[in-house]
Amino acid sequence: MSRRRAPKPTESVSVQEGTTIYRKLFLEARPIWKWLALSCLMCTVIIACAVAGPKLTGQVTDQIYAFWEAKTAGQAVSGLVQAILPTLGILLGVYALGAGMQWLNMYLMNNVVSRHYTCTIRIRMSDKIRRLPVKFVDGTPVGQILEQMTDDVSTMGNSIHQVVDVLMQGFLQLIFIAAAMILEDWRLGLVVLLTTPLTLLLSMAVSNVAGKQFSAMFQRSAELYSVVEESYTNFSTTRAYNLESAMEDKHRVAKERSAQAYEKAMYISSLVQPLTTLVNALTYIALNLVGGYLVVKNLAPVGAVVTMILYARQFSAPLEQIAQGFGQMQRTVAASRRVFRFLEEPEEDQRQGAVDSRQVKGEVELSHVTFSYRPDQPLIRDLSFRAEAGQTVAIVGPTGAGKTTIVNLLMGFYDISAGEIRIDGRPLSQMNREEARSLFAMVLQETWLFRGTVAENVAYGCPGATMEQIRQACRDSYCDRFIRTLPQGYDTVIDDESATLSGGQKQLLTIARAILANRRLLILDEATSNVDTRTEILIQKAMDKLMQGRTCFVIAHRLSTIVGADRILVIRDGDIVEQGTHRELLAQGGFYAQLYASQYDKAIS
Amino acid sequence: MKRIFSHLLPYWRQTLAAALLMALAALCQLMLPTLMSSVVDEGVYARDFAQILRYCGWMLVLAAGAMAATVASRKLSARVVAAFTASLQGYVFHKVMGLSHEAIGRMDTGTLVTRSTQDVSNLSWVAAELSGSIISVPVLFLGGVALTFQVDPVLALVVLCAVPLVVLAVVLVGRRAAPLWERSNAYIDQQNELIRQRLRGIRVIRAFRREDHEQEKIAKATREMASNIIRANVAMGSVSPIASLCFNCAALVILYLGASRMESGVSAATGGDILALIQYVAYIMSGVLSAAFAVVMVPRAVVSARRIAQVLNLPEDGRRQGKEATLQGGITLEHVTFSFQDGAEPALQDVSMDIRPGQQVAIIGSTGSGKSTLVQLLLGFRQAQTGELAFDGEDSRRLSGACIRRQISCVLQKTAIYSGTIRENVAMGKAGATDGEIWRALEIAQLAGYVRSLPDGLDHRLELSGGNLSGGQRQRLAIARALVKDAAIYIFDDSFSALDFLTESRLRACLREYLAGKTQIVVTQRVTTAKNAGCIFVMDQGRLVDAGTHDQLLGRCPVYREIYLSQTGGDTP
Repeated sequence: MSRRRAPKPTESVSVQEGTTIYRKLFLEARPIWKWLALSCLMCTVIIACAVAGPKLTGQVTDQIYAFWEAKTAGQAVSGLVQAILPTLGILLGVYALGAGMQWLNMYLMNNVVSRHYTCTIRIRMSDKIRRLPVKFVDGTPVGQILEQMTDDVSTMGNSIHQVVDVLMQGFLQLIFIAAAMILEDWRLGLVVLLTTPLTLLLSMAVSNVAGKQFSAMFQRSAELYSVVEESYTNFSTTRAYNLESAMEDKHRVAKERSAQAYEKAMYISSLVQPLTTLVNALTYIALNLVGGYLVVKNLAPVGAVVTMILYARQFSAPLEQIAQGFGQMQRTVAASRRVFRFLEEPEEDQRQGAVDSRQVKGEVELSHVTFSYRPDQPLIRDLSFRAEAGQTVAIVGPTGAGKTTIVNLLMGFYDISAGEIRIDGRPLSQMNREEARSLFAMVLQETWLFRGTVAENVAYGCPGATMEQIRQACRDSYCDRFIRTLPQGYDTVIDDESATLSGGQKQLLTIARAILANRRLLILDEATSNVDTRTEILIQKAMDKLMQGRTCFVIAHRLSTIVGADRILVIRDGDIVEQGTHRELLAQGGFYAQLYASQYDKAIS
Repeated sequence: MKRIFSHLLPYWRQTLAAALLMALAALCQLMLPTLMSSVVDEGVYARDFAQILRYCGWMLVLAAGAMAATVASRKLSARVVAAFTASLQGYVFHKVMGLSHEAIGRMDTGTLVTRSTQDVSNLSWVAAELSGSIISVPVLFLGGVALTFQVDPVLALVVLCAVPLVVLAVVLVGRRAAPLWERSNAYIDQQNELIRQRLRGIRVIRAFRREDHEQEKIAKATREMASNIIRANVAMGSVSPIASLCFNCAALVILYLGASRMESGVSAATGGDILALIQYVAYIMSGVLSAAFAVVMVPRAVVSARRIAQVLNLPEDGRRQGKEATLQGGITLEHVTFSFQDGAEPALQDVSMDIRPGQQVAIIGSTGSGKSTLVQLLLGFRQAQTGELAFDGEDSRRLSGACIRRQISCVLQKTAIYSGTIRENVAMGKAGATDGEIWRALEIAQLAGYVRSLPDGLDHRLELSGGNLSGGQRQRLAIARALVKDAAIYIFDDSFSALDFLTESRLRACLREYLAGKTQIVVTQRVTTAKNAGCIFVMDQGRLVDAGTHDQLLGRCPVYREIYLSQTGGDTP
């Protein structure tokens, strides 16, 4: 694709796609099929109870009816209660069994089906992140991924549970009753059986429309989510510019669009139930008409018609359930599609080739590397350079020249489009990505600390580190002193947003982390830009120690930090315009000399 | 809680209409069993086809009426719920936008976002679910009881007892599940935070090869969360079997009582009546059950409502009221002391400064020296505990926060980019800024070249948080936004840190010219950035240690000299 992805159009699910999603959802159930079978069995019992209940009730009412008719006819009758008591006893048993089974099935459904579809899939999505290309993560708003992992999965899981439950029970009940009806009187049975598909078709048609509306609704609510997240993240700037009301306007637009979509979806999906009820009433009326005609013409006995009418009423309950189930399914499809789409995102290709980090000397070579984030805007063209093991390569140049991009390429976060990167003469493309990455330690411009103690954060790249090693790394990076002033010292819980640490202190911790990780190759991307200038010189000393014997790539704006580099690459618009040592480059009197002068001009003159 | 539901108030007419229509539908539905009994009694048994036709006609009318009323009611309630949701979302958002910085610091962004979106949706889901049954169930219940009462008061009593029993069961279960839901929500927040962290730190995680560890952490949190939700769901799921058992038993009791009363001749109930009674019970049961499904959601809604209420109860920015004044750009601090928490080490201690209108000053200091805290005070985000901050001699506490901020243009350390076009982002500094003004600002901010290179120029769309810009570009865009704003005071809080020296020096040369006559405060760690300022304030550990020109400070201020030496590598040519 030559163009960037356009804003997503309102999604609609085609029948074909819907089928694919159902198939996937169904296949998803493979690991739990035994439990589902058990649930089926329980459902059968529940339905048998549900069918037996009214049948037995019918028997009792028949007896009451007969008794009443005889009584009104003036006959002396008695013993009604005696006659019905045994049936009532059985009925009580049937009801208790039905309720018990219903509870057990619900328990099973929650603990197996819901757990499988929500917990397992969430974990799988999280696992997926592990293999996603950095490019995807960079290009996808965090809010969107979060929404898929929480909202969509829970919609999927909760409704799956209901769908399986309701549809399975509903259909089984229908089959039972249909069979009973055909056995009772096939002509009347046919009347009911003919109107049933009508109900199903109708509710499916409505659900289909509703499904599209639900997709639109999810889309709109995701947009609203983005606006909210953006506004809260940029809270300080918003306030500094008195933009609160402007943000509220932005929010209002998103909110109103979301409300409209919501209203439409809710309304259309709510049509299913009254429509089914209406069709049911029509079925009932048809049954009365046909039955009445048959009775009047002496073609059927009265009793059969009464029983059929009783059955027809039972017929409507599962139909309504099924209709609701279909409504749920649309919601499921809309949510599942996004979940599956995430799970099916192309992954980072797995590269073969074991890397033994102990054997690696750390010689890095780029030859004729070409790369661009977008095909129409080449960023790096034909870049070649070589860093001997243990050398320090400084990368300098104006902002946007492609310095950070080189880090992305070295780490294999993005793949080069032409040329080759070699470590110890071995192409990066023939090395296991993870193992190749673990040759590097890095300190990035934007600090990243996770919620955990200071010690855990420092030991991130070296999980087995002892407390003494952690302390040593912190001493080397000059953060031991301020850590000890924290309320709980090394056990103080921190995160990126915590106000207990300043930007520079956070940066120092990430340096400590890199020191402790102790890797052959080191990447410092603007590592010192945020660090307090007074300690920078101390860090520089520590870094010198750390850099000994390691191949280092330093991207720094402060020329003083790279004066001692073995090789300086001056990058401008993606090309290396000059390379050499500090003295060589100064002597050349080119772009580097100009850069250098611009700093010292200000600092010294 | 009251404040939340007050958002339903403006729609009381629609709500009432929806309720009445729902009641009408329920009544139609309630009439159906009576008609059904009549068809059997008077039509089929009597072999009277005309009678069957008549009753069927009535049933058709009732069914169609029920359908029409339901559809109309649903239409109205969908509208009400949507409007309620939007109104509440707007209110919560408005509230958060007006929170004080202390309040924002107390809750992390993730939970605030969830509370303003997800929790509101939870509430409206429940409202939507309930709207269908909250009216029809009582109508079915009371109507059914009334109809039964006519037949036999004792049997009516059975129906009357069964329903409260079920309601009691629902309430008891709900009370057990409520804390479970609360905990579940906390787990959801926690999991979101973990995933957010992981996505943000993807480079570091991969570099240190800790994806497995992150995965494990999230999997553990997910499992805990799922177990909790499942426990809550099971508690809720018990409602339905319990309720149907109750109702079925009620039907049994009716059959038994009906039969014995008929046998002893106490009751006047006919066979058809008992048949109809059983049907009423079935109707009420299905109504109560569907209501129960909605009711089981109520504890969840209550939890969400509580979480929303917590946001609504956070302290608002107290600086909304105050005098309006036109600032000239003079700033005086007198013995200002500020700490983030009572009793904590002060972040600023006894700081006094005097900045004249139109002066260009720099504030230099290492991290943790209190520079950014000072900026927060200047912007009125926070209040000094002791001492006085005055603009043009006017105590800042007497001015409204908005008034101060209108006349201060500031680039904060954490650059903020909004989704939208470049034009929109810059124009946020000045509503209605012309393209000419925007280009001028971009030119000074050294970003015009980049924007010109884009095929869509100013209309180039920026992704969320400016994901498609480099750090330096983000910073320059934020600078352009600050420049387009007309203000008396311009503050740049560490705003050049991602720029290379060449770009920075060009930028600052332009600034000197463009902002001539305006007060300009540059907060920085770099000597090169500070050295040309008319006055440099040197800060160290929350205190102002010295102030003067570069040459003066170099001669007398050890802190400044140390910074200077560290940055020039101690290498003086």
